[in-house]
Amino acid sequence: MILELKANSLDDGPGIRTVVFFKGCPLSCLWCHNPESKRTEAEISFAANDCIDCGTCREICHQQALSKINPFYIDRSKCNLCFDCIDSCPSQALTRVGKTMSTDEITDLVLKDKPFYDVSGGGVTLSGGEPTMFADYCGELLRKIKSHNISTLVETCGQFKFETFERLILPYTDIIYYDLKIFPTDLHRKYCGANNEQILENFTRLQKLSLTGRFSIKPRTPLIPGITDTENNLKLIADFLKQLGVNRIQLMQFNPLWYEKEQKLGLTTQTVFKNQRWQDREKMACCENIFKEREIEV
Amino acid sequence: MIKEWGVPVDKQVGNLKSWTTNVAARSALSAMAFCYSNFDRFKKYLHSDQGWINFSAGIKTENNSVAQTIVFENGKARVKSGVADDVTIQLVFVDEDSLKEMASLPPNEIMNMVLKNRLITRGSMAYLQLFNLLISVLMKDKQIKQMRKQKMDLRGSASIEKAEDTFSPRPQKEFLKAIDVDPGVKYLTDDPYLSKYSIKDFPRLVGFINIHFNQKPAICTERASILTNWFKENGFENKNDHQPWRPELRQGYGYKHLMENRQPIIRKDDLIAGTTTTKEIGIPLYPDTHATLIWSELLTVSERALNPYDISPEEVWELNHRVFPFWLDRNVREWVRKQYKYPLCQQLDERFAVNFLWKTVALSHTIIDYPKLLRLGAAGIIEEIKAELLADKEADQQKKDTLQAMILCYEGIIAYARNLSRQALLEAQLETDPQRKAELERLSAICQRVPEHPCTTLDEAVNAIWIHWVAVHMESTNAGYSLGRMDQWLQPYFAADIEKMGSSDEIEAYIKHAIELIGCFYMRCTDHLPMTPDIGNYLFGGSSSDQAITLGGITPQGDDAVNDMTYIFLKVTELLAIRDPNVNARFNNSKNSVTYLKRLCEVNVNTAGTPSIHNDEMVMLSLAEFNYPPEHLRDWAATGCVEPTISGRHIGHTNCMMFNMVAALEMALFNGRHPLMHWDLGPKTGEPQDFANFEEFFHAFCTQLAFIGSLSCEYNNQLGEAHSVIRPTPMMSAMVDGCIKSGRDATKGGALYNSSGNACIGLADITDSMMAIKKLVYEDKRFTLKEVCNALENNFSGYELMRSLILKSVPLFGSGSQEAIDMANRITDFVHSHFGSQKNFRGGPYTTGFWSMSNHVAFGTLTGALPSGRLAGKPFTPGLTPEAHASKSLLENIKDVAKLNPANMNNNIAFNVKVVPSAHDSHEQVVNNLYSYAKAYCDLGGMQMQFNVVSSQTMRAAMANPDDYRDLLVRISGYNAYFVTLNRDLQMELIERAEYGL
Repeated sequence: MILELKANSLDDGPGIRTVVFFKGCPLSCLWCHNPESKRTEAEISFAANDCIDCGTCREICHQQALSKINPFYIDRSKCNLCFDCIDSCPSQALTRVGKTMSTDEITDLVLKDKPFYDVSGGGVTLSGGEPTMFADYCGELLRKIKSHNISTLVETCGQFKFETFERLILPYTDIIYYDLKIFPTDLHRKYCGANNEQILENFTRLQKLSLTGRFSIKPRTPLIPGITDTENNLKLIADFLKQLGVNRIQLMQFNPLWYEKEQKLGLTTQTVFKNQRWQDREKMACCENIFKEREIEV
Repeated sequence: MIKEWGVPVDKQVGNLKSWTTNVAARSALSAMAFCYSNFDRFKKYLHSDQGWINFSAGIKTENNSVAQTIVFENGKARVKSGVADDVTIQLVFVDEDSLKEMASLPPNEIMNMVLKNRLITRGSMAYLQLFNLLISVLMKDKQIKQMRKQKMDLRGSASIEKAEDTFSPRPQKEFLKAIDVDPGVKYLTDDPYLSKYSIKDFPRLVGFINIHFNQKPAICTERASILTNWFKENGFENKNDHQPWRPELRQGYGYKHLMENRQPIIRKDDLIAGTTTTKEIGIPLYPDTHATLIWSELLTVSERALNPYDISPEEVWELNHRVFPFWLDRNVREWVRKQYKYPLCQQLDERFAVNFLWKTVALSHTIIDYPKLLRLGAAGIIEEIKAELLADKEADQQKKDTLQAMILCYEGIIAYARNLSRQALLEAQLETDPQRKAELERLSAICQRVPEHPCTTLDEAVNAIWIHWVAVHMESTNAGYSLGRMDQWLQPYFAADIEKMGSSDEIEAYIKHAIELIGCFYMRCTDHLPMTPDIGNYLFGGSSSDQAITLGGITPQGDDAVNDMTYIFLKVTELLAIRDPNVNARFNNSKNSVTYLKRLCEVNVNTAGTPSIHNDEMVMLSLAEFNYPPEHLRDWAATGCVEPTISGRHIGHTNCMMFNMVAALEMALFNGRHPLMHWDLGPKTGEPQDFANFEEFFHAFCTQLAFIGSLSCEYNNQLGEAHSVIRPTPMMSAMVDGCIKSGRDATKGGALYNSSGNACIGLADITDSMMAIKKLVYEDKRFTLKEVCNALENNFSGYELMRSLILKSVPLFGSGSQEAIDMANRITDFVHSHFGSQKNFRGGPYTTGFWSMSNHVAFGTLTGALPSGRLAGKPFTPGLTPEAHASKSLLENIKDVAKLNPANMNNNIAFNVKVVPSAHDSHEQVVNNLYSYAKAYCDLGGMQMQFNVVSSQTMRAAMANPDDYRDLLVRISGYNAYFVTLNRDLQMELIERAEYGL
């Protein structure tokens, strides 16, 4: 299940890239910035700003699930995901989130931007959701993209079966961006919905393999206020990396830009983060220092 | 119900209203007549040094409910009922309310009523301006009060809206070092990017920049006064012996007199001698073309909200009494009106909605042969002309006179340079600062030698070019005259200077001097601005005179042309970050280096959007149809905005007209009627329901476009003829290959190559409209064309569903849809072939461009809603830039524009790419990103692109006017978003971040 393809991305790896977002994730991080990519099923999204209130969809809906009275327009308990309303919506306020696409379809689409990858040292990034959940598909897609001499990058949360990853995905991957979110496993379970032993184990093994030079791996930590950006957590991560001989990490500044996305899907679970602002520079510097003290480049 | 009572009530009220308005109009005109008949302080405005100015002005409404005429005759004025056909000017108001409003409006606003088509003027524009002045004389105090209020009202919002126009020195903290050295770079081998210099190293230039941004421009009467006096004494149409003047010869004598007698001015602290005006920043006047358009504003121009000019009471008197009256009928526009009996094509131009003929302002937009000046000097050019006179035994009288006129011009230039030399010496003697004294002495020596003799040093070459640049502006209007390939032409002098030097310290000091010298040259170019009547502020948004410099590319022999001077010009462009000169860069994908293209991108980042980048091979490909010899073709340079001219050999008047293609679309939709003008102008191509299929509709569009296109060319040709009578340009002619040999002035087609270039506006809007009609009307049959027309007439009010479908489901230009690209190419193909089949007055073809200056805004305000979903009055997209909502990915825009066929765009294009650097990105990353866009675009065959590196100020403006900034793309960590789609708080966050992050 593919969420979307995003062209002209400048922040998901080197150069200009196209990002293929997968839908579905084994973790359920409280702060997830792509809430629409959690579930593996297609969903309906409603953008109130785009709606011209023509009423077409309300006439078409067999379930009477659509009404202005509903807090997010769609009564998800009634909606049976027939998607008829989406085809009828002239303003595309109602849209389908997630679709099945063949690897050939995606390859054709990403190929169109090859001139930009070539001049910028960019390529294609698989992200999500969690692409490794669909290892067979992913491997096939990466192989096809690679055959056109396009650089590939996989963003992963690390929750995968190592052997499958090594066999299907790794041979066609140039760069891995690997999330290390929370080090203490109990906290990881609390905030991300799963233990992290496998994640740390997989990272250790990949890090060793990367020394062959066939691919590179870069750990990343999203800085979530009060959850991942605590001194304790960052120190533990830093020590872990130092012990493995890893000398660089990417810290991702917290941004508050995803609340709207939730509303479109009718989700309200993450109100705990409302009113959060961009992380300030001082806090960023503090976090960075923890790594710099251990000679890890940020 | 009402009908049963006979005359409808509203009609009765209407009649009463008409009657009272007619009476009121009569009373107002009678009061005006009384003033001008009885009071000397008013009457003097009707008196020129050659006697009373006599004319009549008819005021009426379209339905004749009001009709009154005021007649000015021999210092008396009277009012008559009715408006006869032979009045000098007519002011026709669409309704009585518009008429009432005019009574209280300032003169600038009256012209804006013309723009809005609430007022139609007929007859002489010059007399109309005088009439408006006469109103202004009586209403001045009230008008000024109103303008001040207007200015205050504007300030709140405008300071936000116009934020981009105001100067904000961007913090240029970072400069990259070059990674490589181009083969043509011989001396800047350490670092061609010259990254160690910042503006702080050049206090002289900082001083000039401050003047530039703080000095209010002033009207300069010098050129107009000296020439007018000479023509009065020596005759204009006829000589004092009553024989008709050969216009070239008349201009030659007048020009020589002007150059000998104008003030030789050396600006304080400058390294370059000479000025185009007597003011610090001056507005030179060209009454032989359009200067009388400012006549009505003489009393108020210093108070207007946009681009006010200073002017003294003495200068107002000089212009009103001595200068303007002489030119009432002696300007190109009025010459056509008289000669061609006020043709339809002229009437169309004066409604402003379909086209704007720059030919009414100038026949310029060309690049003269500077290398010849540097090589031969003015004296050498005179020798060349004399040799031709001797050699051509069969020369006709016209040739003899034309060449004689050229000689007179160059004698004038030599005289002016000698005056400058004397002046410099005089000032040196009075100067107490030893360093400045030495500079002045050096300047005196330079002006003694050049431009009379061949140049030997860079200082001489730059001064010679500047003095000649002044000379160009004394002959004809400062509109789009361009400087050409200055890096190529100055490199030999730069190299020769350095070759004479020994120590590396000496060389380093010289390089710094070269940067400063070119900096002075740029700042000299800002010493004048084009005269813009207020209507022009709305049409062109206060444009400068667009003096284009072109850098890089390849040499006439086909080698990589990037050299030391290329990088010096780029450094100066970066340090000064001013709008004029307009710097263009040729990037030859086969010959020029990555180092060079990266530097172009870096300068764009550091200046927010200059130079514009031309894909050299594609521009040359677009000119293939003209079969220029390769060594001539390779010497092309940008003119005015972006348009290619073959340097030194070509009168291409590349912006003879701005052409609103969208008018043709509207006329096709409404059976030949232009909706805003309420004018059944075009051929009857059919009612909406008459078109059986899309092809028939497209054909109607082509018919309408051909109709207004041909009319535009017809007017341009008549104006071209007018220029050859009113203001031939012998001085310029001597500097364009072909004129000396042919013995014909440039205005008469004497040049080796001739053409006229246009700017066709609205390509993206038309393509999208055509796609909407094709898809929704003829393919999906969702609506009939009649329904679409109804929606347009109602500005989509009540048709939201239709508009929504259009915006969301039609594949637009810039979305990656091959069908839309094919449509765009089909449109450009037709436009190009139509204009290409027309001949201009000088015997050359028309070239077709797709760029817009800022006319996409002006024409947009004069256009109703479009099938593309664009609402009435909104701007078109700039140049041929795709609509923002066409695609979520900028790359689709870039790829689609790159797929347009260059063969149809032989007067170039303007493709704007907005980039907002992310707070996270290093300077180097931002530069690399721009580089990637530019390089891939060129690899894909794109022709021209210009970056707009967006600031937080722009984002603030976007918050205030979201509709106008739909295309503002901002980068947020992780993804891109359209700024206006974000909520207010997020917008503020981004602004804060941009302000603190960059």
